[in-house]
Amino acid sequence: MKRKGFGFYLRIYCKILAQDLKSKMSYRADFIISTIGMIFTNISGFVSFWILFRNFPSINGWSYYEMLFLYGFSLISLTPVQCLFDNNWSLRQYVYSGDFIKYCFRPINLFFYYQSEVFDIKGLGQLAFGIGTLIFAWVKIGLAFTPLMLLKMIVFLLTASLIMIALQNAAAASCFWIQNSFYVLDLAYRFRDYAKYPITIFTPVFRFIFTFVMPIAFIAYYPSLVVLRPDAVPMLSWLSPLIGIAFFYVSYKIWMYGAMKYSGTGS
Amino acid sequence: MSAIIEIKNVTKEFKVLKRREGLKGSLKDLFSRNYKIVRAVDNISMQIAQGEIVGYLGPNGAGKSTTIKMMTGVLEPTSGEILVGGNVPYKNRTRNAQEIGVVFGQRSQLWWALPLIESFRLLKDIYQIPDADYEEMLKLYQSLVDIEPLLHKPVRQMSLGQRTLSDILAAFLHNPKIVFLDEPTIGLDVSMKAKIRTLIHALNKEKKTTVILTTHDMGDVDALCQRIVIIDKGKMLYDNDIAHLKRFFGSYRTLKIRVDGDLKQEAENIQKELPDNSVSADDEWISVLVDEEKASVMDVLGCLQKKYKIRDMQLEEISSEEVIKKIYEEGVQ
Repeated sequence: MKRKGFGFYLRIYCKILAQDLKSKMSYRADFIISTIGMIFTNISGFVSFWILFRNFPSINGWSYYEMLFLYGFSLISLTPVQCLFDNNWSLRQYVYSGDFIKYCFRPINLFFYYQSEVFDIKGLGQLAFGIGTLIFAWVKIGLAFTPLMLLKMIVFLLTASLIMIALQNAAAASCFWIQNSFYVLDLAYRFRDYAKYPITIFTPVFRFIFTFVMPIAFIAYYPSLVVLRPDAVPMLSWLSPLIGIAFFYVSYKIWMYGAMKYSGTGS
Repeated sequence: MSAIIEIKNVTKEFKVLKRREGLKGSLKDLFSRNYKIVRAVDNISMQIAQGEIVGYLGPNGAGKSTTIKMMTGVLEPTSGEILVGGNVPYKNRTRNAQEIGVVFGQRSQLWWALPLIESFRLLKDIYQIPDADYEEMLKLYQSLVDIEPLLHKPVRQMSLGQRTLSDILAAFLHNPKIVFLDEPTIGLDVSMKAKIRTLIHALNKEKKTTVILTTHDMGDVDALCQRIVIIDKGKMLYDNDIAHLKRFFGSYRTLKIRVDGDLKQEAENIQKELPDNSVSADDEWISVLVDEEKASVMDVLGCLQKKYKIRDMQLEEISSEEVIKKIYEEGVQ
């Protein structure tokens, strides 16, 4: 048996993804409706943002375009969790009904196998929307564009995604211990709405919570500072890649620990 | 014969919350909890050789699934040792998974939206099956069952029977050493059951795959298993070949006769005359259970013929179903 490295998993993932997309597109009405729904979700999110800033031209020293930058940044960094880890939402039902056991019999990583089953294409629209917003804000603010900047952006976007993924993993894994874990997952999901605001607008208590307890400030705020306020980048911004990886690793361990503890219901 | 599965003094205990009754009890449970230890599997040992088909039987809640889960690596035994193909399943879950196939009758493990052939291709990659082996297996499948209509149908559009068939084919695809089948024929019609039994039998013969089969359907046992293991309340009741079991109860036969008049009434009369035999009646027949070690069926029949005009008669061997039922109820003395 060959070793199962990154290449092995990537190949399997691509194959599952291709098959999944193929079968999704064969349900045309479903595909069209979910695409339309996704466009409207994004537009309505943007409109409420726009209305807010019609009334407040700047928040706590953050201009409209800077806020837009944060907004676009958070949309992009929330894409991977939406696209790749959407099956976390179903974990609760699988565990409750005992169907989760079916994932335990394959000779591949359990976490990977479980998450690979669902790819949510709705997230791709969000990604396109986010990129558009980010570029628009970038140009309007008049930021310079260098390869180094681009590299920074990519690194920080990736780590920001890891934070959100970690939050969701940990929240979803709570179902291995508690029955009604939907509220935990929903709570984590709702908190991400605050990710698109600069953390300085919150009271110190929430600032602390959003930085160290529910680290949503790392989804957009701290990473964006590196680009937006290069003169006054706090230590936490530079640490965010490490924090992202650490959080993801911890959440993965929690998830796997829960899955191993799971013994299934009788059949 | 070397054993492919070795189970030595395995026990599995679960900690179960002892719930108090009523709302008051629930409130108390919030603060102080009483756990009790439930022994789902109690000191079980067995050895299974390569190529065997073993029927693993027991009433609901006997501990069958728990044992299977321990053999597949989902559960860790509380004490005792399990070796499956040389692996300790719980410690090497992934390596163990490469060597086994699992089918749960009610829970498909295939990708719901994908046609069967695409699932097969994914499994080929996941299990890293060499091209030649894969092709050979597909050819074998084609010679055993009519899979063409299944291959291009998404699993979710299949009937339960087709799905079970597909799941079994998928479980054998990587040519595992052992396949666990948990109630594979549950809820299927007679012809599908027969098809699935033939398939399992053929695959076992062709590939020398060890099959562990749990079922409540004695038809499966009669068609497939040379050996059966019976457990109840976590304890092993019986482990031997099925012929031996039948021999054990084999001296019992059921004589069925039909006479004129009210059968229930006549059965009571016969019972009085034959106090040693148990006599019962249904709408068509009067059944007399005869232990041939005490009196031969012919003697009983002769005795009855003197007093009654027998219109019709049948002689039945005791079925495995009845044997198992007797063991569940009385145990093996």
